[in-house]
Amino acid sequence: MRRRTAALTAGALTGALALTGCSGSGAGPEKAELSVSASYMPQPVSADMAAGFLTITNKGTSEDELTSVTSDVAGEVTMHSTTGGAMAEQSSFAIPAHGKLVFRSGGNHLMFEKLKHTPKQGQTVTVKLDFAKSGPLTVEMPVKSTTYNPSTGH
Amino acid sequence: MRKKTFTAAVLLAAATLTLSACGSGDDAGSPVAVVEGGSDAGKAATVLDQPFDKPELVLTDTHGKKYDLRKETKGHPTLVYFGYTHCPDVCPTTMSNIAVAKKALPKAEQDDLRVVFVTTDPGRDTPAELGRWLKGIDPQFIGLTGDFAKIQAGAKSVGIAVEPTSKDKNGKLVSVHGTQVIAFSPKTDAGYVLYGENATVDDYTKDLPKLVEGATP
Repeated sequence: MRRRTAALTAGALTGALALTGCSGSGAGPEKAELSVSASYMPQPVSADMAAGFLTITNKGTSEDELTSVTSDVAGEVTMHSTTGGAMAEQSSFAIPAHGKLVFRSGGNHLMFEKLKHTPKQGQTVTVKLDFAKSGPLTVEMPVKSTTYNPSTGH
Repeated sequence: MRKKTFTAAVLLAAATLTLSACGSGDDAGSPVAVVEGGSDAGKAATVLDQPFDKPELVLTDTHGKKYDLRKETKGHPTLVYFGYTHCPDVCPTTMSNIAVAKKALPKAEQDDLRVVFVTTDPGRDTPAELGRWLKGIDPQFIGLTGDFAKIQAGAKSVGIAVEPTSKDKNGKLVSVHGTQVIAFSPKTDAGYVLYGENATVDDYTKDLPKLVEGATP
């Protein structure tokens, strides 16, 4: 019984200190702080499918995970990694603390299937991103030319 | 009991450390864990010391007719790419980059150029399906489909490894595309220049006038 008391006290003490520590700094508990940039969809060449690209930046102190993507233009959006010409569907992508998750042409990409209409250059498509910990983010993704290159901007 | 006291002390120390970790909040030089792949400033074209022979491929074109690659493209500047149409990213971008660059050539040279898309997914890419897809990119482009083993051997002969379409764990079909476009000279019919998948419209626009003459870009 004595032993049990000691352990409990230690546990309570740890909890109290950790709590004080975090609230004292004014930043609240550790969490991810996500923002999206550089999003675009190249105008697809067929009515069947389209690709989408974006960067998710995490300024927070905790990692998060992109767990699903949905869009108003597509019946299904899946996440893929690409290596050596072979793409593989992934069920989630990690976004490290103080890090980035990059979807770019030739690498990771979002794949929009069962398109309800063919997105055209100049339009935007709405994309909703769901995460393991953070609340969802909605992105208005601009449709660019089929040959759009983000590093040259045209 | 002694042991327990010790544990408590350790936990206390840990808690103190956590405290200081929480306190130091504003770290400026934070590391970026996932870095964007570098876009090399070098030239897009790789000129081969040892050119490839044109693959000996006799396949079916988008009109359902027999197409002998060596015979049909002999003496013409020719670009060959191995890909598939159920490909959202690299395949349409590569073909569209070439299509846009081609429009900058004089009409006679546009007609002289042969751009050949060989499917790596003949199961789904029928002549009609290929034709529909290429029409959205450039109606002059040639699409070839046929026996996968033949296509794979043809790709291998120019250093491109492709695998047959397979099912992933969700039962979805997954295909593989080549990562390079090969340019064949109208003078020698040999494949002498390679372009990787990062080659842009500007790269092709700059190089096509040389390629149509069989010159080194």
